[in-house]
Amino acid sequence: MAEFLQFFITGIAVGMVYALIALAFVLIWKSSSVANLALGQIVLLSSWFTYSMLVQANLPVWLALPLVIIFALFLGWVIERFTLRPLIAQPILSLIAVTLGIGYFIEGIITFIWPWSVDALPRLFPRDVIHIGPAVISQEYAWVVGICLFVFVLLTLFFRYHKMGIAMRATADDQMAVQACGIPVTRVFSRSWMFACVVAAIGGVLISSIGGITHGLIETGLKSFSVVILGGLDSFGGAIIAGPIIGLCESLGGGYLTPYTWAGVKDIIPFVIIIIVMTIKPYGLFGETRIERI
Amino acid sequence: MSLPCGIRNYTYARDMTILRTRTHWALFTGLLALLLTAPLYLGNYWLGVGNLIGITLIAALGLNILVGYCGQLSIGHAGFIAVGAYTSAILTNRFELPFLIGLISAGITAGIIGIIFGLPSVRVKGFYLAITTIAAQFIIIWVINHWGLTGGFEGINVPYASIGGLVFDNDAKQFYLIMVIAALGVFFAKNLARTKIGRAFIAIRDNDLAAEVMGVNLLYYKLLAFFIGCFFAGIAGALLAHWTGTLSAEQFSFTESILYVGMIIIGGLGTTLGPILGVVFIRILQQLLTVEVVPWLEGTFTMFPAGFASGVAPMFFGLVIVLFLILEPRGLAHRWALLKAAYRLWPFSY
Repeated sequence: MAEFLQFFITGIAVGMVYALIALAFVLIWKSSSVANLALGQIVLLSSWFTYSMLVQANLPVWLALPLVIIFALFLGWVIERFTLRPLIAQPILSLIAVTLGIGYFIEGIITFIWPWSVDALPRLFPRDVIHIGPAVISQEYAWVVGICLFVFVLLTLFFRYHKMGIAMRATADDQMAVQACGIPVTRVFSRSWMFACVVAAIGGVLISSIGGITHGLIETGLKSFSVVILGGLDSFGGAIIAGPIIGLCESLGGGYLTPYTWAGVKDIIPFVIIIIVMTIKPYGLFGETRIERI
Repeated sequence: MSLPCGIRNYTYARDMTILRTRTHWALFTGLLALLLTAPLYLGNYWLGVGNLIGITLIAALGLNILVGYCGQLSIGHAGFIAVGAYTSAILTNRFELPFLIGLISAGITAGIIGIIFGLPSVRVKGFYLAITTIAAQFIIIWVINHWGLTGGFEGINVPYASIGGLVFDNDAKQFYLIMVIAALGVFFAKNLARTKIGRAFIAIRDNDLAAEVMGVNLLYYKLLAFFIGCFFAGIAGALLAHWTGTLSAEQFSFTESILYVGMIIIGGLGTTLGPILGVVFIRILQQLLTVEVVPWLEGTFTMFPAGFASGVAPMFFGLVIVLFLILEPRGLAHRWALLKAAYRLWPFSY
């Protein structure tokens, strides 16, 4: 029973971070129909930047974390302005390939600036254990879940009440009508990329504060695509619900299947889920079915 | 069609031919002579680069048929190459079957795996299919890493290719083997575009609903595209296995898949010249970077932490892919066609 609770809580926490990164993807997809395949690398870059601020420059936490957010805003702005603005309305292969190229470029920058491949962030959350029933879990997971929920609530409020949030939802719905109303669509794209990068950066900081910064963060970014697919490509609620589901499947599956099958089963579960979802219900739990007409 | 002045086609065969004028034939025989005598004047190092280019070209031709002609986004090509490589390795190493059987079964196995992972293509397209192929790549690599038959994490050794009694044990002999198969691959791909299957692929790429209305069987042709594309990848993988001698899953990472997509986009999608140009461009740049630029950088800028220059290659290639997509999305083949047209129309090339 203790084991089960352990896996459960770890799965929920990791799943929440997957949901955060998936939110970043859905944000960009909803507003501009661009599939951002460079998310894993953006997460890794933000984590390394946090490391740079906290360890190399030795800044205090209250200064470093806002700097990380500003960096993520800047990164999102640069990516949108210089690589995606020229490619508005191009076929989807070009858009996917350009995000792949950006991801590859960011991977090169990461190896260029921080050539050692693993490192650890200093403790951001208190490490004392709390007891839930018979399980003993470290407080970090509770903090991670809490911060993720806080970001979800913030984003929901933003999209419901703030002018730019409403503009983003409107652009996702009907771009031409939005242009007719006089809302600058390029600014909406730019803001959505900036927010998506900030959300991905927060996810990166959270997950690397638990597990350290490794190259596997790129695979974490790819695993969050399974959250996106399961929840539905254009649904925020879907990402938030599917995240813990995938996290739980990974954690419980890894925990209970590993003694019976191969070690490392944990890593492949999200990708197998992608294939299963694709064959059964390609548009996910809450996604909109695409109906195409000639 | 942009034919030179004075060249007219009087028969259908002449209209559809690949080599039309006497200049074409002369240049073609020149190219063949150059390639066939290459081991005489190229050193061992450049023969190795030539082998790598040949192998990559076969895989890139397959990807071009899948993505460029049929429009099915596939970002998991390295996984299918790995399937071919490991099939051939296992058949020649563990089961001691001859090389040719290993080669053909590598292609067929990769094709079948391609069909299995390409099944969602009948229901979804665009990004959904791209994600499915990414998942396919990771599942294939995971299976290779965790299955005892494929050697797990240690990799597997592969004997040299041999046909009859002839063993291909040095770069020069493998150059002939790879070049012959690559030439056959180019010929097959070029002809595919001119047949009914090729026209069906192009129809599916342009508008698959309209193609279905016209009578093109989407299930058959989409799965056929996956089979042909992954068959090429399997053959390339088998040749790669016998060329490098040992296999491990790191050679077939997601980064390789990105590089393949970059190669066909930089070369030009939907043409046969495109993959050739793209592959040559990227592989030669890779050689230049890893052999010349990176050691020079490591030597000159010693104040930076060690190993920093290994990030230069990904940075450079990522930048090249992005720049090509923004500035010349139709690739080097389009630039070449513009150059030919300008030459033909000079001095009225504006």
